[in-house]
Amino acid sequence: MHKLLRNLVRRLPLQFRVLYNQFLLRVIDLESLSIQADVPRFLGQFAGVLIMFSLAQALGLLIHPPMSPESMQSLLDSVLQRMIATTMLITGLIAVVSWDNIFPDRRDVMVLFPLPVRPRTVLFAKLAAAGAVAGLGVLVLNFPVSLAVALLIGGFARSLFVFLAYWFTLAGSAALLLASVLTVQGFTALLLPRRAFIRLSAVLQLAAFALLIAVYFLEPSLLTPAAFQAPANRLLLASSPQFWFFALFHQLIGQLPPGCAWLAGRAWAGLGIVLAGALASLLLCYLRTMRKTVEEPDLLPAARGSHWTLPFGSRLQTAILQFSVRSLLRSRQHRVALAFYLGIGAALTLLILKQDGPLIAVPHPLLPGFLFATFTMMTFAVVGLRSVYALPISLTANWVLRTTQLAPPELYIAATRRSLLLFAALPVWLASALYGLTYRPLYQVAEHLVILALLAVILADLNLIGFYKVPFTCSYLPGKSNVQVRFWAFVIVFVPLATLGAMEELRAFPHLLQTAALIAFLAAAAACLRVFNRRRFQPAVLYFEELPEEILTTLHLVTIPPPISVPSPRP
Amino acid sequence: MLELVRVSKHFSGIPAVDDVTFSARPGQVTGYLGPNGSGKSTTMKMITGLIELTFGQISFQGKLIQEDLIAYKRRMGYVPEEPYLYNHLSGAEYLTMVAQLRNLPVRASSERIDGLLRLLSLHDDRHASISGYSKGMRQKVLIAAALMHNPELILLDEPFSGLDVASALVLRSLIQELAARGKVVLFSSHELDTVERICSRVVILHRGKLVADDTIEHLRSLMGLPTLEGIFSQLAVERDTDSTARQIADLIHA
Repeated sequence: MHKLLRNLVRRLPLQFRVLYNQFLLRVIDLESLSIQADVPRFLGQFAGVLIMFSLAQALGLLIHPPMSPESMQSLLDSVLQRMIATTMLITGLIAVVSWDNIFPDRRDVMVLFPLPVRPRTVLFAKLAAAGAVAGLGVLVLNFPVSLAVALLIGGFARSLFVFLAYWFTLAGSAALLLASVLTVQGFTALLLPRRAFIRLSAVLQLAAFALLIAVYFLEPSLLTPAAFQAPANRLLLASSPQFWFFALFHQLIGQLPPGCAWLAGRAWAGLGIVLAGALASLLLCYLRTMRKTVEEPDLLPAARGSHWTLPFGSRLQTAILQFSVRSLLRSRQHRVALAFYLGIGAALTLLILKQDGPLIAVPHPLLPGFLFATFTMMTFAVVGLRSVYALPISLTANWVLRTTQLAPPELYIAATRRSLLLFAALPVWLASALYGLTYRPLYQVAEHLVILALLAVILADLNLIGFYKVPFTCSYLPGKSNVQVRFWAFVIVFVPLATLGAMEELRAFPHLLQTAALIAFLAAAAACLRVFNRRRFQPAVLYFEELPEEILTTLHLVTIPPPISVPSPRP
Repeated sequence: MLELVRVSKHFSGIPAVDDVTFSARPGQVTGYLGPNGSGKSTTMKMITGLIELTFGQISFQGKLIQEDLIAYKRRMGYVPEEPYLYNHLSGAEYLTMVAQLRNLPVRASSERIDGLLRLLSLHDDRHASISGYSKGMRQKVLIAAALMHNPELILLDEPFSGLDVASALVLRSLIQELAARGKVVLFSSHELDTVERICSRVVILHRGKLVADDTIEHLRSLMGLPTLEGIFSQLAVERDTDSTARQIADLIHA
């Protein structure tokens, strides 16, 4: 098999193979990774999270208490729908994260354009690299579940057939999502002037991201044949590719109810349309995009317009906070990373708030959902911004911060703390206050807002332990921090703690003394943490990561004789 | 006065700068020359405090720079070899950020930034992103950032890189003017004509070692060569350059 694959690969054109290898390495933005990063381990950790998710689903299918055939079918359908939705989410996230990579950047163009390489070779190599990464994600995510589904549905006789049907369905759903994103990008690039495309592309990327997260967390499962037939669900079924591919799987294994054939038809049609659309639009726009990339700079804000310089405290604080907010607003990579955290936080918040009842029915009685949701959103916002601060904007430009470091490090860290509170905590707090107006009694909402503010302060200080850096000046250290540990820490530690906190808070609200004690406890915790951090900040040294010095710069074309030394007269 | 005494820098045991001693005086422009890879930029980075010395010491106005690096940075302006800037900021935003980090007074710094941008012909593009700037425009931003706080020590590493003729002429006069006003100017460049015109003394480095430290006049008479180019070629350039060129032409022709 390995030999066959190697022979197949060798038959591909050399230019394609060389470019594919180059682009595959760059699906991850190496500029944002630390020189000490352990990239394979980092990817392994992500794969580990996906495998754990898949294993949990597979074990849930294989090990369960005795149940009726209907219940078993319902369990199978629920897992299948979840796996299709998760596969589409993972593929979508990969497509969104590698959004810019499908088009050659200026460096690619400057290197490749003068060479005898056809634009379509570059395009196919880029597509293959993006597809390979997405394919790897899909494979890791689905392998355990595919075995379990094949065994449970096909038995020993038809297991291979069901296994293949499962993989065709999942690969199709992933291809649909990837090709949809590419089609949108391709047509946008084709129809809009380059400058407008760059601006709209940034918005589209965030919109695609928000859509993916929202659909994943908010879309319901339909688990009974009656639900598929119900007229009330027709719009949902018609507009959701998750159900199209669910129907396609059943069509492939020959178990599709007659009334659902139209859904499978949508899967086939959708796949055909977006694959053709992506290929056609990208082929048409690629050469033009390459030319335009050379002709025009990527970023050129208008020479006129508002050029605000909002003061944020001292000169140093203003410099750090303005630098932070400008980096966040103007760097696509950082916006997407922050959107990742905010998107998940917002989706979870909406999901939790939905449990409390219809969002539009006001006023609500104060329920744990509101408290838990605001805790969750605050945590995601502060932790998310702090994580984004660890992605550098330009390591090579750090020298200016080093040569102008005239204030003690604690002032720089204090500015970072202020930026966390202003840009992460304050918007969430204000949104919570605004939405809190729909709850009653209002005095309890006010009490919760005090608690939320204290939680924000605690979170900001917790996130600054050991962070002796200016935002955006140091690399993320993938592989050095354990993604799996963080993920499970969130599930196992944060969720129960936040739930418990919300319950305790709700219990304390009717009693003034208990509420006061809770607030006093949190205020004391915040003060202790602040004192602890300030003591650690005083002797700290700001850390700036630099690229390694380039030593080799001479060409040594000839053997050089030893230099003649002229004795220099001393002054 | 800026003084380097037996300064060395090793990278993984390889000496990039080896036992270099020289000084740069106020009122003089000191040229710092050497072929690619000779250790010029490494020395510049050591003088700015960006990288640490392996051996030796650097002092400014009689005080070791490491004793009070912050006070030293207040008095130093640096134009690096490569125009590495935060590309997502505009020219005006970048200079404002540097002024804020240097804690310059608001009004004075904004007037100075505005004036520098006008004099360096960047005013019309001051709100455009640096990512759209040409190499020369980036170089001008670096020069403005290095000078806006009126430093006593000015370190210029290839400051003419990418500048057009008019801007280069302005910069050439500016360097001389700053030296005449008592600044210590250390100027590294490959443009030997410019160095010859504006520098009163030169320090020549070859393979990390100091091979000359003298006034240009004295070097000329000592070596019996009429130009700085001749002196430089004698001290730091492979002598068989014509032969190398011929070999390259032969190689690609074959």
